[in-house]
Amino acid sequence: MTGQIKTLHEMLVQKQISCTELTHTYLAAIEKDNGKLNAYVKVTPDTALATAKTVDEKIAKGEPIGLLEGIPMTLKDNISTKDIETTCCSKILSGYVPIYDATVWTLLKEQNAVLLGKTNMDEFAMGSSCETSCFGGAANPHNTDHVAGGSSGGVASAVAGNLAVYGLGSDTGGSIRQPAAFCGCVGLKPTYGAVSRYGLIAYASSLDQIGPITTSVEDAAILFDAIAKKDDMDSTSSGAKEPVADRLSAGLEGVKIGVAKEYFDGIKPEIQTALEGAIKVYESLGAQIIPFSLPILKYALPVYYILACAEASSNLGRYDGIRYGYRTDSYNGIHDMICKTRSEGFGAEVKRRILLGTYVLSSGYYDAYYKKAQNLRGNIVSAFQNAFADCDVILAPTVPVTAFEKGFSAKDAVETYLTDICTVPVNIAGLPGISLPCGFDGQGLPIGMQLIGNTFGEAKVLNTAFAYEAAAKDVFKKAQTGVRF
Amino acid sequence: MMVTKEEILDIALLAKLSVEEDKLDELTKEMMNIIQFADTINAFDGEVQEFDNINSLSNVFREDEVLPSYPREEILKNVGGGENGYFPVKKRM
Repeated sequence: MTGQIKTLHEMLVQKQISCTELTHTYLAAIEKDNGKLNAYVKVTPDTALATAKTVDEKIAKGEPIGLLEGIPMTLKDNISTKDIETTCCSKILSGYVPIYDATVWTLLKEQNAVLLGKTNMDEFAMGSSCETSCFGGAANPHNTDHVAGGSSGGVASAVAGNLAVYGLGSDTGGSIRQPAAFCGCVGLKPTYGAVSRYGLIAYASSLDQIGPITTSVEDAAILFDAIAKKDDMDSTSSGAKEPVADRLSAGLEGVKIGVAKEYFDGIKPEIQTALEGAIKVYESLGAQIIPFSLPILKYALPVYYILACAEASSNLGRYDGIRYGYRTDSYNGIHDMICKTRSEGFGAEVKRRILLGTYVLSSGYYDAYYKKAQNLRGNIVSAFQNAFADCDVILAPTVPVTAFEKGFSAKDAVETYLTDICTVPVNIAGLPGISLPCGFDGQGLPIGMQLIGNTFGEAKVLNTAFAYEAAAKDVFKKAQTGVRF
Repeated sequence: MMVTKEEILDIALLAKLSVEEDKLDELTKEMMNIIQFADTINAFDGEVQEFDNINSLSNVFREDEVLPSYPREEILKNVGGGENGYFPVKKRM
């Protein structure tokens, strides 16, 4: 199935539409619909139109253009953009304008990607509904009474709502895959280290990874090839093993798909049914389904929250109000200034996670929580490695539920954390994972299927996803046309 | 696992966060709930493995290289230009 990127690229090359016209179309759509979706927290028409003009000039001169040139897109608001305000949707970073670009944005900017603006997210990527954003949450284009998901809710809302062709988000515990599932998009979380984190405002550095949210598997593969490069500015970056977009193939003969029963515990019956349907599709395509068990999964959530919050408490220690962002008005001495700035600048969920992180790292609790969780991380990594000895990819739900109604997350923190059960294991083990639409619930809200690969196994993950997309075109079509707002 | 109000205040001090008196009870209850959830890892009674880092990464070493830094005036733009080339904070005697 040809994605939007190649289709629009062809239209630009054939001069069926100019890049300026295309950009104006998206800017007009944002003007019309962003009030309902709250997907964008900042729109950058001047930057977008200046880039569009450059691309139009190249086309007019007959110069060749790259696949991503002139394609209108967006970035989550935790990806640094030089001279464009980047807030992580937190009051503490209000007014902060980075003086450098994140590596992923440098790579796309070099290809004349048209940046329409920065998109909404849970504050510092901490949340599952986008509602911890200081700008209020992003709505789900399939039903605006429901959330877009989180934390990259703004990107998913914009892409599903046709306010951008694609966007880059970040995924620490499911923040690309979960909103992609809620909004009927494709969301790829690459292998840890495949994509540089330089310029991504840190939440939990050993778990964070940048990846694309798109409307097709092909678009996700094109973007993975574009951003998965080794970068000297990130010592954990290694780049991709191989390019994938040109080698996408729907052939699945002999591919072994593992299905671990623990992923299905407690999921909504409609999601169970949708996934069973997807498994049947895979069987009909010649894949072999391998049932297996991953009992260690029941520890994944607490391990994730302990490690992520511990890293966050350290990473967010830098916000003191001295060098950028928000600073309290009145204070008495440096300690008072920092405490007041942080207490007024951070929202409730961020404070909870900083407190939990500080607690598990503090003397007396370090061994019982942080060290134990870190060692259990080793057990989880081994369990996945053993699983991949017998299968090529693992199929699982992305989320045990469909998009929450607005306000759900505010009621109970732990109850919300529990909905991350299917996504966090991938981050703990540093694996690639993709979410793609595989059905709809009774309310017409999209259901996401997750495919998980071995380390640097993006090619297998994307191929398996591509095969499903080719066989279930109607689901993908409905995911894009079911939008109503 | 019991968490006391005093512990929450100690942790908040370490994290440089202030807790308003009237919110302390609610925050203690919330944190107790979250810490009880975190505590579930201690039910694991199998053999734990040592874990170093993800994907067996190792340190990256290279020769030091002197490169130009960011211009001071660029950096100070985020505090309204700064004062005499520095980040300003209020004087305290």
